[in-house]
Amino acid sequence: MSISEHHSEPAGREPRPEAAASGAVAPPEALVVPGDLAADLAGIPPLSPVGRLAATVERLSREVRAAQAEAEGRALIELAKGILVERLGCGPAQAARQLAELAEQAQVTPLELAVDVINQAARDRVSEVTDAFLAATAAAETEADGEDAGVEDADAESAAVRLRAAESGALAADDTQAVAVSLLEQALRPLGAVAVAIWAAGADGSLTLAGSAGFSPAEAARWRYVPPDVVTVARRGLTERQGQWIASLGRTGLPSIGRHQHPDGGRVAVPAGTGGRIHGVLEIVWAAPLEPQPPQIVRQIEALAELCAHTLETYTPPLGAPQEPRVLPDAAELMDLADGLHDPALVLVPHLDGSGNLADFRIQHVNDRFLDPAGRPRAVVSGALLLEAYPMAAGESELFQRVERVYATGEPFRAHRMNLTALVDQVPLSAVADISISRHGNAVLLIWRIEDETARLASLLQHAQRLGRIGGFEENLLTGEITWNGQLFDLYGRPETSTPVPLEQLPSYAHPDDAVAIGRFLRTLVHHRRPASAAFRLQRPDGVTRHIRVVAEPVLDTDGRLLLVRGAYQDISSQHWTEVALAATRDQLAHTEQQASERNRLALQLQQAIMPPTQAPLRLAELQVAVRYRPAETEQLVGGDWYDAVVLPSGLVLLSVGDVAGHGIEAATSMVVLRNALRGLAVTGAGPGQLLSWLNIVAHHLTGAVTATAVCGLYDPDTRALRWARAGHLPPVLVRQAEAAPLPLVKGLLLGAVPETSYEEAEVQLAPEDTLLMYTDGLIERRDRSVEETLSHLLSTARAAPSTLDQQLDRLLTYSKSDTDDDTCIVGIRVR
Amino acid sequence: MSIAQNPLSVEVTLPREDVALLTVQGYLDVDTATEFQHHLANQLHHGRRHFLLDLSAVPFMDSSGMNIILRVYQEVREIPGSVHIIDPTPAVQRILDLTGVSITVPVSKTVDDALALVDGGAVPEPGAAGTSGQEEA
Repeated sequence: MSISEHHSEPAGREPRPEAAASGAVAPPEALVVPGDLAADLAGIPPLSPVGRLAATVERLSREVRAAQAEAEGRALIELAKGILVERLGCGPAQAARQLAELAEQAQVTPLELAVDVINQAARDRVSEVTDAFLAATAAAETEADGEDAGVEDADAESAAVRLRAAESGALAADDTQAVAVSLLEQALRPLGAVAVAIWAAGADGSLTLAGSAGFSPAEAARWRYVPPDVVTVARRGLTERQGQWIASLGRTGLPSIGRHQHPDGGRVAVPAGTGGRIHGVLEIVWAAPLEPQPPQIVRQIEALAELCAHTLETYTPPLGAPQEPRVLPDAAELMDLADGLHDPALVLVPHLDGSGNLADFRIQHVNDRFLDPAGRPRAVVSGALLLEAYPMAAGESELFQRVERVYATGEPFRAHRMNLTALVDQVPLSAVADISISRHGNAVLLIWRIEDETARLASLLQHAQRLGRIGGFEENLLTGEITWNGQLFDLYGRPETSTPVPLEQLPSYAHPDDAVAIGRFLRTLVHHRRPASAAFRLQRPDGVTRHIRVVAEPVLDTDGRLLLVRGAYQDISSQHWTEVALAATRDQLAHTEQQASERNRLALQLQQAIMPPTQAPLRLAELQVAVRYRPAETEQLVGGDWYDAVVLPSGLVLLSVGDVAGHGIEAATSMVVLRNALRGLAVTGAGPGQLLSWLNIVAHHLTGAVTATAVCGLYDPDTRALRWARAGHLPPVLVRQAEAAPLPLVKGLLLGAVPETSYEEAEVQLAPEDTLLMYTDGLIERRDRSVEETLSHLLSTARAAPSTLDQQLDRLLTYSKSDTDDDTCIVGIRVR
Repeated sequence: MSIAQNPLSVEVTLPREDVALLTVQGYLDVDTATEFQHHLANQLHHGRRHFLLDLSAVPFMDSSGMNIILRVYQEVREIPGSVHIIDPTPAVQRILDLTGVSITVPVSKTVDDALALVDGGAVPEPGAAGTSGQEEA
């Protein structure tokens, strides 16, 4: 419908777009105004993406028609002749002559002159244009409301008169101030407005009061300049890019010109733009709160704002104004700048349609870094219109809207990972790019950096995927399009020509037991939109089951919508079995560990079963015997210490302590062997040296080359004599009255070191109340002191003999200077 | 108690083809004995027959260290070879005497003394020095 209305415009206006497109003559600005109004009111503000596409198609077909007209060549000139015939009241031949003469005088081509003539004629047809505008308004109104058309018509008619008068005034006025006065008097007072302000938008975002009416001069002077970022009613109109209709200024709390005079009055701020670019804001003040206005009033005011825009377009701040003169760098300068950039850059200039609306952007220049996402040569893109080169820019990617907004507001746009879509042979190809858009003068610089570093690494990646048995995929959830790499087809055991399997069908390709895991994976990925991974058994068509790990991540577009899912499958079958083997090993280790601790406990139990920590003292008539065994604090250090005190058949008392090297169950079992062996050997009646010599053979032939130290004594209760020998062990200590001293260090190698050795014997005559102590080195062993030092400490402890033997042994344990966590045995005898 | 506090350093030199001189520095105890044993096993593997253990910088040796010495002593007896302890500190000397190891493993004051004992060959008694020239040739 809107298009047919557009076509119903007067025939006289038809050639103008062609004239503009051919570049022969730029239409005078004043003439663009009615066209703008007509187009706007015809109801085709091309805002929606679909509208954009439609407009593009429409414009392309119009350009085809224009080209045809140009081919015919003389259409414009014929039209101009017709106008001259009408004006001059002459015949066509004379009109043709007149045209040629005028062209010669003006030193322009007949075509250019013809355009001028047509433009002149069009200026006189404001009424005709207004009629078209009225018709459009009325039609829109009737359609929208379906109310009494007669009243509407009358309203529309008076509005038309107002508008026309304002228009004439604005066109006659030579500056914005005059426009403001004209607007207020001619068009806005009838609507109840009391004041009007026309703001010019500066390049830096500031607003300058370009013209005003209805305010006191002082108030206007106060508000002559609004710095950037100060939020006023007008600024809101600028940033929102649409009319602000405020019922009462006081309620918004926004500052604005004339607020003190009319605190509760209504306000309207409408952006004033032409050709898609906002040049300023038209602000209108009511004294009383403003009721919601009917659509036609809204449209009238928007039309007035557009009128303002034309004067603002050429607005130059008066001299001395606190504003830098506007710098308008040539597009050529911008092209130089683009060429110096290291990212692909496009210089865009606005492309207006026949009615002066922004229809598209011409790609004026692309720099040499530019690579077309669709792979076309630079020359094809350069010079084309943006929407023609990238029709999809009007669609979902919204690139066109971004450019349009930047051009309109001058506010730069930057985005990371914006989705760009290019159409290649009717197939939309997506690329993710970082985008920067900025306005420079009348041109827009568009810079993008496409993420194609991956492309450079693609072959490397492919090899890595092959080696790691990784198959990559990407699935577009909107289109259902799935991309697999070759490796993934291999993993699935499917030919590369087959259809890839969508993620949601994954469960049917997996072992039924893995359905839950896959379900969780898909839910995390698609529903929660988080990266996810899962391991499952893939059942291939060839009957082979592979263990697969799938890792995937969602890819969201700039609006946070789930666009696609990409990820990788990895064949972890070998890894899987390694893990299984590892797990088994771990179990085994844990088992071993448990066994070890059990064995340590067993060693302790063994030792304690054989030698209770405090055995009931051996009671003999002439001899008191006491023993102590202190196990190591740390369980695994339970060692092979032993003590023994037993009355032999001969009546002699066998006394021994020993220490098997090492710890744990082996040392404990060796200890048991040696201790019992000594008991058995002692029954033979041999002396201690001989006993140790035999015991050495036993130790030497024990499995594992056990070494041990021991001291062995035979006490004769009748003579109170002790015969003893030692095998690498500390000699016994004799405590006599207040003296304590070790017995001499008789020669004797530790047990088990050599197959055969002999042991020196010694004898000591004990006296009543003498105490003899045998002990293992847990009692004295220290790292930081010599054996002498710890021994002398032991001796001094032993010297201060308490009353009973038991107390003495306890005391020795308590005050032992030992610092190693070793088990300790003590045997003490006291002669009565 | 930790190794870091009492690091063991073992330096191996070869006065002769079949003689390894191991200069030990640090505590020879349960924490360091294994390392010491590895050095000895390595030299044994390389065919050394005589082991000279310089213990002048060993302030402390426990039964673990003692057992290592005894083990290498047993190994080289078969070859036949010998183990010599050189210049032990009093504490170590005391342990050697206590355990009776000094009965079996000769203790020398210097490396030269020990080498002289080595040259004595099968004769365990000292005093047979003077044949070293032959060995070197």
